[in-house]
Amino acid sequence: MTLLFYSAGAIALIATLSVILSSNVVHALVYLIISLLSVAVIFFALGAPFAAMLEAIVYAGAIMVLFLFVMMMLNLGQATEDEERAWMQPSLWIGPGLLSGILLLLFVSTLLTHDVTLAPVEVSVRDISLLLFGPWLLAVELASMLLLAGLIAAYHLAKK
Amino acid sequence: MAVAEDTTELDPSLANLVEELSLRFEQEIVAVQGYRDGIPVLWVTATGLKTLMHYLRSSASIRFQMLFDLSAIDERARVHREGQPASDFTVCYHLMSFTHPCDIRLKLALSVSALSAPTVTDVWPNANWYERECWDMFGIVFEGHPNLSRIMLPPTWEGHPLRKEHPARATEMEPYSLSQERQQHEQEALRFNPEQWGMTRESKNSEFMFLNLGPNHPSVHGVFRIALQLDGEILVDAVPDIGYHHRGAEKMGERQSWHTYIPYTDRIDYLGGVMNNLPYVMAVEKMAGIEVPERVKVIRVMLCEMFRIASHLLFYGTFAQDVGQLSPVFYMFVDRERVFNIIESICGARMHPGWFRIGGVAQDLPVGWDKAIREWLDFMPARLRDYDTMVMNNGILKRRTQGVGAYSTKDALDWGITGAGLRATGLEYDYRKARPYSGYENFDFEVPVAANGDCYDRCAIRVEEIRQSLRIIRQCVDNMPQGPYKSAHPATTPPLKEKTRLDIETLINHFLSVSWGPVVPPQEVTTIIEATKGLNSYYLVSDGGTGSYRTRIRTPSFAHLQMIPEISRGFMVPDLIAIIASIDFVMADVDR
Amino acid sequence: MKFEVGSALSIAAILFTVIVVAAMLIWVERRLLGLWQERLGPNRVGPFGLLQVVADMIKIFTKEDWVPPFADRFSFLLAPPIIMVVILLSFSVIPFAPGVGVIDSDIGVLFVLAMASLGAYSVMLGGLSSNNKYALLGSLRAAAQMVSYEVFMGISLLGVVALAGTFNLREIVLSQADGWYILPQCVGFLIFVIAGVAESHRLPFDIPEAEQEIVAGYHTEYSGMKFGMFFVGEYLGVVLVSSLIVVLFFGGWLGPAFLPPIVWFVLKASVFVAFFVLLRAAIPRPRYDQLMNYGWLFLLPLSLLNLLLTGAFVLWQEGM
Repeated sequence: MTLLFYSAGAIALIATLSVILSSNVVHALVYLIISLLSVAVIFFALGAPFAAMLEAIVYAGAIMVLFLFVMMMLNLGQATEDEERAWMQPSLWIGPGLLSGILLLLFVSTLLTHDVTLAPVEVSVRDISLLLFGPWLLAVELASMLLLAGLIAAYHLAKK
Repeated sequence: MAVAEDTTELDPSLANLVEELSLRFEQEIVAVQGYRDGIPVLWVTATGLKTLMHYLRSSASIRFQMLFDLSAIDERARVHREGQPASDFTVCYHLMSFTHPCDIRLKLALSVSALSAPTVTDVWPNANWYERECWDMFGIVFEGHPNLSRIMLPPTWEGHPLRKEHPARATEMEPYSLSQERQQHEQEALRFNPEQWGMTRESKNSEFMFLNLGPNHPSVHGVFRIALQLDGEILVDAVPDIGYHHRGAEKMGERQSWHTYIPYTDRIDYLGGVMNNLPYVMAVEKMAGIEVPERVKVIRVMLCEMFRIASHLLFYGTFAQDVGQLSPVFYMFVDRERVFNIIESICGARMHPGWFRIGGVAQDLPVGWDKAIREWLDFMPARLRDYDTMVMNNGILKRRTQGVGAYSTKDALDWGITGAGLRATGLEYDYRKARPYSGYENFDFEVPVAANGDCYDRCAIRVEEIRQSLRIIRQCVDNMPQGPYKSAHPATTPPLKEKTRLDIETLINHFLSVSWGPVVPPQEVTTIIEATKGLNSYYLVSDGGTGSYRTRIRTPSFAHLQMIPEISRGFMVPDLIAIIASIDFVMADVDR
Repeated sequence: MKFEVGSALSIAAILFTVIVVAAMLIWVERRLLGLWQERLGPNRVGPFGLLQVVADMIKIFTKEDWVPPFADRFSFLLAPPIIMVVILLSFSVIPFAPGVGVIDSDIGVLFVLAMASLGAYSVMLGGLSSNNKYALLGSLRAAAQMVSYEVFMGISLLGVVALAGTFNLREIVLSQADGWYILPQCVGFLIFVIAGVAESHRLPFDIPEAEQEIVAGYHTEYSGMKFGMFFVGEYLGVVLVSSLIVVLFFGGWLGPAFLPPIVWFVLKASVFVAFFVLLRAAIPRPRYDQLMNYGWLFLLPLSLLNLLLTGAFVLWQEGM
């Protein structure tokens, strides 16, 4: 399981980096999907198969499909790719790079100062259901209402 | 007023109309003529053309609802023009009445120095393509035409093929060569430019996608191209582009003898087989004055109806297939095979027998010919019932085709739509009933009509026509008259065997008749038939020779395709496929 | 959590069998269509034309491996294997018989749904990267169709999950020992079949590749083995959906003891495979917007209602 965790983590890192560096939007999307799938594998390795499957179904399987769908409608060509490449100048990277570096430093220092052990805890589908429809019932219902509102709004817009 | 000598009596009401017109439009009508087909010819002036057309369309005692045909004749090499006004090129407008059994032909004389005529597209919308064809073939300019460009030939073509000076054979031309610049030029001409097709690149809200459907596409039934302007999958515009199947059939008519042209007609509507021979041989027979025996008429009707069924079966199957149903086309091809087996046993060939002859048919019916036909007649109705269950009563098919591509009777007449496409709008008009030819008046059959004029109705009409054709064939089998299979008239080609090889005189006659074919007196004749896909007509001009001076073939499919943009706008790509399928066209019939 | 993986040998055996069955299905479908369409079908290569598949395979493997110069090479090459891999992975959770299966997992049903949702990428990327307008139209249709029908597919089989009380496919089969789920879940079954056809985009729902309209849709530009993968992927999809139907609604391998369990499974699955072929032969294709309307306006409420009633039934039973 440890090997699985680290290799999936490495794939996730490489794929995410490729998302940022890729100048072709479709390629970037493919990398993003790979990244999401490897995160799903990490969830699985950590003992949360349900979360892993939802990650795959909802993020990789549904949301990214919509991204790709929009990409098709936009009719992007060589021009956008050149534009993307133009944005890859090192000068533009200094600011975000610095900020991310600080975040990384903070993260690493927390990891070093606190004693974190990687101990997979089994979380079965049943446990999650009991949590969701027990203590968190109100939150679930609120979220579902929000989704319903979104659904109705989308229907209204589509009718126009 | 000059009238050619050899004419038929006009229908009395038509004669009255001609009388009335020549008084009322004294200035506009230059001359009046008549020929053997009972269609009066009015020579008009360019200025009076539209006035007369408007009058004939909406105010005359007999109204003419359709511009049936528009073509031209290169008169410069014609010898026999007795009584006709001087003309280098003559534009002919054939108007048709759907309320009276009458036609009228307007002719406009043009001189080669001023080769232009006023466009009539504002009177008849369907004149658009006809005038383009005239420009393409003869170089006649139609003033005010919205888009006068080549239609049959590529835009880079030089010359106008139906002019007499244009060679008919490749051997009469320079050997073909393609230089680098020429290739560049040709390729440049193929570049798709939306503006040339009357399309804009974007609207306020969206950028359009242009899709080139054809000339090679699984469901355009041949080589047919439609340029689509799409907003998502919604059709903003669909512009048909034809001419990929053009073989110059009309030009070939001018170089073949009367007899040797028959096989060419088979290939006009290649699903119609001998049905195509019929209007041609009837036209020649009318010019030569041949009366065919009763048996010939019934044999011809029987075979024509067989081909109608074969053609409709193919339509039925491909229609279902284009809506996405996989199986019916296989069943219907098997049935079509059964028809072809019968046709083969009678004619010796299957799709293109070329079996009708001037004055008769090629052979008598074989011994025991009726057995197979009777078996087939008993077999078909059950199959048709199966198809009804499978195709016509299928819910998905109904949802795909009902209300799609609908048009009214008026639109149909405006656009020159005939056949099942016209009857689907509710007008009960079948040429076999309205103006019977080849003995159709002796048969008992019904003319199916529908009400909505949509894709589903067009299919339903044809399905019912298959049943009616079966009825007609049964009557043919039951009442086949005895007698000769060829007329005894001297112009019959080839002549009856009994009249040949008796002595040197009959041998010479036979020899001439077979090698040259008959000599047909100077005449002009139009014959129209209810073909598989609509009204098909041959307009033949004889200059007293062994071949045609001008062969004009009016095909139904040509007119039907012109209407595609009108009926497909606002629908989706799959609907367009259903519309195309429901039209039932054959590209050879469109391009000739 | 239960997560048992079979031996390497049995994995290899199942993989091989599944691929061979899918390939043979090409022959089966063509012969069956021939039978139903008054014609012969392939009967020249080998006895009854059985070697037709071998001949096709040789042809398809020896074809030039061509990528159109105008295509996006990366996605163009990536697209066909996705469908193969995703569907083969789905087979890993299918319990064919006691002891026969790759993975016995508690999240089997969810795994199948996850793989089905990833399958959409194959079609979308294939169409998008081809840089062809027909392919683009095809993949646009595919995206909308597959994303929508995934939803109904998921909801339709939740009824079975609620009755069995598990996402584990093997346990779902075992819980059907005293009655197949086809009876209580007949609505769910119908929705699942429709969604299954739409997901494997076969006629009558082959809208993404409707040949009469958009030539070959998303795989217009594909040839050789890359096309072959799409092609075999389609048949793998048919086998998968048939197997799932058997597992979820028809008691999997369960059956009278005179036949071994695996035979029962194969027999049941074959019936549904033949049913899919018959469906293809019989029904015309609806229009793309009609299919979407049908899904969202009819199947969605129906499947939700089915789930609601099943849930109520389960609660009522527990309360007793």
